[in-house]
Amino acid sequence: MMNFLKAASLAVCSGSLAMAASVSTVQADEWPTDDVRLVVPYAPGGTTDVLSRRVADLLQEELDANVVVENRPGAGSTVATGRLARGGRDVDHTILMASPGHTIGAAIYPDLAYDPVEDFVFLQNLIDIPNVMVVPADSPYDSVEEFVEAAKEQNMTFSHSGVGSSIHMSGELFKTLTETNMTAVPFAGSGAALPALLGGDVDVSFENMPTVLSHIKSGDLKALAVTSAERSEHLPDVPTLREGGDYNLDQFVTTAWFGLIAHESFPQEAQDAMREALDAVMQREEFQNFAEQLGAEPGQVAGEEFKQFIASEVERWQEVADQAGISQ
Amino acid sequence: MEIISEVLQLFLHPENFLAIALGVVIGVVVGSIPGLTATMAVALALPFTFSMEPIAAILLLVGIYKGGMYGGSITAILIRTPGSPASACTLLDGYPMAQQGHAKKALKMALYSSVIADFISNIALIFFAAYLAKIALNFGAPEFFWLICFSLTIIISLASGSMIKGLLAALLGILLSLVGLDEVFGSQRLTFGNYNLMDSISFIPLLIGLFAIPEIVEFYRKKALPHIKAKASGASVTLSEMKRSLKTIVRGSLIGVIIGAIPGTGATAAAFISYSDARRRSPRRDNFGKGEVEGVAASEAGNNGVAGATMIPLLSLGIPGDVITAIILGAFMVHGLTPGPLLFQENLPLIYALFMGIMFSSLVLLVVGNGAIKYFSLIADIPKEILFPIVLMFCVYGAYAVNNDTFDVWLMLGFGVLGYVFNRAAIPAAPFLIGFILGPMFEDNLRRSLLIGGNDLSIFVRGPIAWFFIALTLGSILLALYRYVTARRLPTQTDTSQEAP
Repeated sequence: MMNFLKAASLAVCSGSLAMAASVSTVQADEWPTDDVRLVVPYAPGGTTDVLSRRVADLLQEELDANVVVENRPGAGSTVATGRLARGGRDVDHTILMASPGHTIGAAIYPDLAYDPVEDFVFLQNLIDIPNVMVVPADSPYDSVEEFVEAAKEQNMTFSHSGVGSSIHMSGELFKTLTETNMTAVPFAGSGAALPALLGGDVDVSFENMPTVLSHIKSGDLKALAVTSAERSEHLPDVPTLREGGDYNLDQFVTTAWFGLIAHESFPQEAQDAMREALDAVMQREEFQNFAEQLGAEPGQVAGEEFKQFIASEVERWQEVADQAGISQ
Repeated sequence: MEIISEVLQLFLHPENFLAIALGVVIGVVVGSIPGLTATMAVALALPFTFSMEPIAAILLLVGIYKGGMYGGSITAILIRTPGSPASACTLLDGYPMAQQGHAKKALKMALYSSVIADFISNIALIFFAAYLAKIALNFGAPEFFWLICFSLTIIISLASGSMIKGLLAALLGILLSLVGLDEVFGSQRLTFGNYNLMDSISFIPLLIGLFAIPEIVEFYRKKALPHIKAKASGASVTLSEMKRSLKTIVRGSLIGVIIGAIPGTGATAAAFISYSDARRRSPRRDNFGKGEVEGVAASEAGNNGVAGATMIPLLSLGIPGDVITAIILGAFMVHGLTPGPLLFQENLPLIYALFMGIMFSSLVLLVVGNGAIKYFSLIADIPKEILFPIVLMFCVYGAYAVNNDTFDVWLMLGFGVLGYVFNRAAIPAAPFLIGFILGPMFEDNLRRSLLIGGNDLSIFVRGPIAWFFIALTLGSILLALYRYVTARRLPTQTDTSQEAP
């Protein structure tokens, strides 16, 4: 028995030595030397997941390595992000698809064990999805001005897809900037929130563009404004919120952004390789068609710029969350 | 005439049939494995559909959805481990049936009622989509609130035996459902600072722990459990049983259709509402929970009735009612199609071809399900001392697989202890689950109504749908009181409290 155990442990040891040796020979090559893990901090099926799987497919070809998608949902993306921040063995081959939950989560979840800016490197902002300020078709308000004036007189309700979603926070930001009376009405996801808006139970919503685009086109919803910096090519006649310039709305620019981040110790060589591969992915026709169908625009920032964007977002949402009383 | 040939041209394509068959098979297998849900399978299959023809792509995903909805019942019946949350209710009568040697009967009944419900749901989708979508839009938070109130009164009928124990279980379920982030203020409730609990207690580990673990503990505690001859070759569903259950199946299907047409409710709630409704109406209500074939029929009809109906808000309004239809919406959009009223105007042949495929999938479900029963039911013949360690492994794996997190494994084991206590103390599990599922819906819709109405209570009586459910709620309470009073006059007939659950 003893002999057997000895032999077994010897075999295991020599096996792992051999593996270590083979790894070190591979390591002489360029990054990636192993499978790349793409962590999705949400459950399968959402926008983040669908986008990640599409990107993983294309990235696989560009990197010439396996890209494995792994879902780790929990606490508005902070579970997976916290795990990434703690680091670990395969941290130089792990990337994470971050989204507004990254910055909003930092504002509304107390005692996060990580710094949303300093603990990560920011690779590439892939796509931005604008939000649209929509009202029911039979709403008496035809412009942002009319709506704000009315909201100063009476209380308005806005629907959102859950505490801390970009839809929720856009509504809170609007309320803060315009100093109006608005009540947030939470729903479990946009699918459940939409009927309340279509049926006129709530007055307004700041929904993601892809969710409401078809309803705007069919005339069931009226779009008053888009929240992005520039007008959207999907809705060229709809002004941006900051266009009016009144009611402090010139500061109102938010989009649901999606981008890849990694642990702060992610090697420089890997960052360069990823940046190059992601540039190539974003040039691909498949990617551009996919973004187009989501109603999204290609991301603008990468690297240090991306990091600065995140830092300013964290600060902004912290302020909004404080004013709305959402943070503890 | 032209449109018919166009539709047939679109539909009669080998790729479509292959997609449906493959989808249903994947769905049944994935659905039957605890921890792997149809949602995951649909999400994982989505990238493969990008390169397919639109109809085949959607049919593949719909096939997985339907197969998964049924597949969960197989393991629920055979090893007391629900493969998916929606089949938790099937277990209540399905597993006792298997223990009594009627595994095959339970599996067949689950399949037949699933297929019938699926078929009815498809008919509703094809012929009444526009009408049902309109109802769904008028179903706001206050209406929902009353629907949930009505469903909660049903707990009275489920608390078989001791009413105190039933209410205790229901309240415990509601208490545990409070764990997580507050929906309105985002504050943490009962999380004790543990970030794993912020998204509330995961349902699948809870189910696995509550049902599968006590069974395993009980087996090893008693060791010499009389070896149950649960033969796979046992009797199938008899004609008289089918006849008896048919009304229940149709009613359950309609409940499923209505619940499915309203975005954001889900198959699990539908199964429990259908089950409770069936129990209240059935002359054999005392046998529910002890291996009543009608109970299996009711719960499976309820959850499968949802599958076709969730396509109603998706196709007619462009609103996904649950995560799976949200993914299917994604598949439509990848192919440049936007579900909604416009799709009916611009792409009618495609819609009709899709409908034909969806109808066909019911038939495929029947065939695949029959095949699955043939092989899966052999599990019933495996000696327990070999089977249970494997089940335990699946329990751990299933709990882990939901979020890829070991915390859920501990959670599952914790609920195992709770389930064991429930067993020993003869506390019924059904009210606990109903409390856990419906409690949050009750709270959310109450608060939502108050937010929408600006704290004006008149919103709760704002229209005919609300009035209808208020009447049902009051009627349900009055009926229970009436039964209670008449039962007290005939004390001998109600002495069921001595029986084990």
